[in-house]
Amino acid sequence: MVRSELVKLFIRKAIASGAEVDRFSTEREAADFVVAFLKEKGIERIIAAQDSQLLFKDKKGVSFFEARASEDFLQAEAGLVMADYGVAETGTLVRLDENDKEKMTWTLPPLCLCLLGTERIVPSLEDISEVFSKHLSQIEIPSPQVSLVTGPSRTADIENELSIGVHGPSCLKILVVEGKTK
Amino acid sequence: MSKLDSHLAKVLKDFSISYLSKRQNAFECLDFEALRAQLAEVKDRTIGQLQKYLKQFEEQARKHGSQVLHARDGEEANRLILDILKKHGARKLVKGKSMVSEEIELNEFLTKQGIEPRETDLGEWIVQLDRERPTHMVMPAIHLTRKEVAGIFSRYLGKEVPEEIPALVRIAREELRREIFSAPAGLSGANALIAENGAIMLVTNEGNGRLVSTIPPVHIVLASIEKVLPSTQDALLLLKLLPRNATGQAITSYVSFIAGPHKEAQYIILLDNHRSRILADQKFKEILRCIKCSACLNVCPVYKTLGGKEFSHIYMGGIGTLLTAWIHGLRQSKKLAGLCLGCHRCEEYCAAKIKIADLILALRERLNEELGKPFWKRLAFEGVMGHSKFHRNAFLLAGKATSIISERDGFLRNLPLFLKKYDRFRSLPAPASKSLSQLFKKSFPREKVKKARGKIILYPGCLVEHFYPQIGLAASKVLRALGYQVESAPALCCGFPSANGGFNSASRRAYKKLITKLDDSNYIITLCPTCATMFTQIGPKLLDSEQAEDLAKKAFPFSRFLLEKEKQKCSDLFPSEASARCVTYHESCHHNYILKASDASKKIIQMAVGKEILEMKDPESCCGFAGSFSVDHPEISEALLEEKLALIKNSGAEIVALDCPGCLLQIRGGCHRKGYPIAVKHTAELLAERLKN
Repeated sequence: MVRSELVKLFIRKAIASGAEVDRFSTEREAADFVVAFLKEKGIERIIAAQDSQLLFKDKKGVSFFEARASEDFLQAEAGLVMADYGVAETGTLVRLDENDKEKMTWTLPPLCLCLLGTERIVPSLEDISEVFSKHLSQIEIPSPQVSLVTGPSRTADIENELSIGVHGPSCLKILVVEGKTK
Repeated sequence: MSKLDSHLAKVLKDFSISYLSKRQNAFECLDFEALRAQLAEVKDRTIGQLQKYLKQFEEQARKHGSQVLHARDGEEANRLILDILKKHGARKLVKGKSMVSEEIELNEFLTKQGIEPRETDLGEWIVQLDRERPTHMVMPAIHLTRKEVAGIFSRYLGKEVPEEIPALVRIAREELRREIFSAPAGLSGANALIAENGAIMLVTNEGNGRLVSTIPPVHIVLASIEKVLPSTQDALLLLKLLPRNATGQAITSYVSFIAGPHKEAQYIILLDNHRSRILADQKFKEILRCIKCSACLNVCPVYKTLGGKEFSHIYMGGIGTLLTAWIHGLRQSKKLAGLCLGCHRCEEYCAAKIKIADLILALRERLNEELGKPFWKRLAFEGVMGHSKFHRNAFLLAGKATSIISERDGFLRNLPLFLKKYDRFRSLPAPASKSLSQLFKKSFPREKVKKARGKIILYPGCLVEHFYPQIGLAASKVLRALGYQVESAPALCCGFPSANGGFNSASRRAYKKLITKLDDSNYIITLCPTCATMFTQIGPKLLDSEQAEDLAKKAFPFSRFLLEKEKQKCSDLFPSEASARCVTYHESCHHNYILKASDASKKIIQMAVGKEILEMKDPESCCGFAGSFSVDHPEISEALLEEKLALIKNSGAEIVALDCPGCLLQIRGGCHRKGYPIAVKHTAELLAERLKN
């Protein structure tokens, strides 16, 4: 599959899973959008994984707070992370997390913003199974993790009717950026 | 329907419909058969060397700093968990969804020890607050309405809460976050244990699995030993099948692979609890392939009607019956084993190709051996059916009495009060005044057909022989029109009902007797799918003889024979102008799932009527007959028939064709009771009516 088709498929599947998707040609554009979006929503308490903080180094109007303890994450209104991979077949975001803080950043706040470079989109999970395997085998990292996230947190436990935002975010916003990212 | 809950029936019915269409979409462009064959192969290979892979998993997990513990049974696992909690001073345990913890009744155990277990999966939490057990492996609270859930939450919180699902979900989020953040320990199950790197795989939708495994300082993983898989790649294969088959999702919202402890400690408890015993049993070991996707529940006609509260010990439905027998004891599985219709639909959907219905048959035999045989079944299967003469004479006598006991239309007069439950919802047929073999002698004297193309023995099955001989005559008419010499088999039972009841030796006796009495012929043509199953599959296994093998190759269900062997000639049998009446087709379970002959029937019918079949919705849904099942469980049989009749009526067809005399008894009797002007015909009857001349 050519790259443009792959990106299209990823976006279609991600939207079908309940995620919101926006496309940008550069990281700078995406960062500008995030600043404006958060401002518009009046969101001030944002936590971000280290990799994505760099993008906002010289941006005014957005500051990140650092969560020292687990409880601090409960104060956050939005979490910002960068995906390591996107899986087109299912519209899934993949991160190879190295500690619990990174994982909580995109699990606990009600809004999750996730950047994804188009060149990081693969057709299916099988294409990156080796990467998973390698990451999970590392013993120098205290707790290697692979997280796959597809759409917002959901449940159909009452009367088989779909509801979103049970334990995880009720809104997942994916910012697809041309190129590699990271 | 008094014993059945009508709200539950509606929710389960809606669910089973939406499930099938979502599942179909989720498997789009994928080859389900190939994937599940691959998974079954991986699972078999792994459990074949279970100790090796468990050892590898343990070594790898230890390298990450996890502590791996072994529990022989539930009691030991409960103790280990208690010790861990005590060591870390924990008085509360937050839990992600774990059927294994239900299996060992962990919550009850911890509560007695003064420790508070707190479920965090929404459905599990609701069920826990309601002091109940899950009724579905994937959707634990499917039996409750939003109103009931609001009531449960109101009692728990001591304040009124709105009866709206989004509000209820919000309450759960807030309450459970508080619980998770204040708990010193969290417990999760594992969908896979990966041997090559010591990681676990967790598959969830709500995200609570991520929270209980990340936020509390101590993470306990409770997993049964058959969850181990050699590689990450194997875990991804499982992941490809699990959500698609469980809920019709291509993937769940969250999948986490976790290697080693996040914070203070991670304990992985590997539970045996009789699995080594299952592994040592050549026949039953394939149940260890189960990935708990619950597709077998989702498609089970009985589960859909009864729900998981009735159809469970702890594990539910078909696979639950088998797991219960091994894990919680044969006695606990007895009622469940009797609830299986034997329709084999679950086997079509199982992600790991487990022969669930076949194994339930084998379980019934063990139940009979070890717990004794039910009296009426002994009388029927070993007494009456075991003795061909007695069996035949009983029917002949009943046939003679037909004019006294029946109405003119061929149905019995109303049954006496104590038998009312069997014919309230369907009229029962009266035995024919002359059996098929008696009629056959008269209609087709044993003369040689001139230039016959071969000899066919028609095996009609007991219902056709004694109740519906006209079906047998119709089939002979068609086969003779093709130029065959047709003879009727001696009126002997094939033995299927005994095998179905777990009476294998009675079944073996019956089948052996039957086949020694069969003349030589080119083909055996059956008019009943269960008899066909006996000839083609069960018989050869029971007897293991050359003759049985030989018969298996010669035996054909009527419609498949016509389509596979006589397609060309058949097209000349029927007039070219289309029939004026519309025909719909009911897919009988054994004809469909075991013989896989529904398509053949539809094609041949279309050829005969000269136009397309008018498809009813859900043509494969069971009519509820299932032989002795409708005697054991008339209320379920009634509910399933009601649904089937509605589907048939809504199709708008004037004729419903089918290939099973049992379904014919049920559906014809149901239409008669309701006064529907719909003709119910065996494919053979329909074809015979359409013959030229």
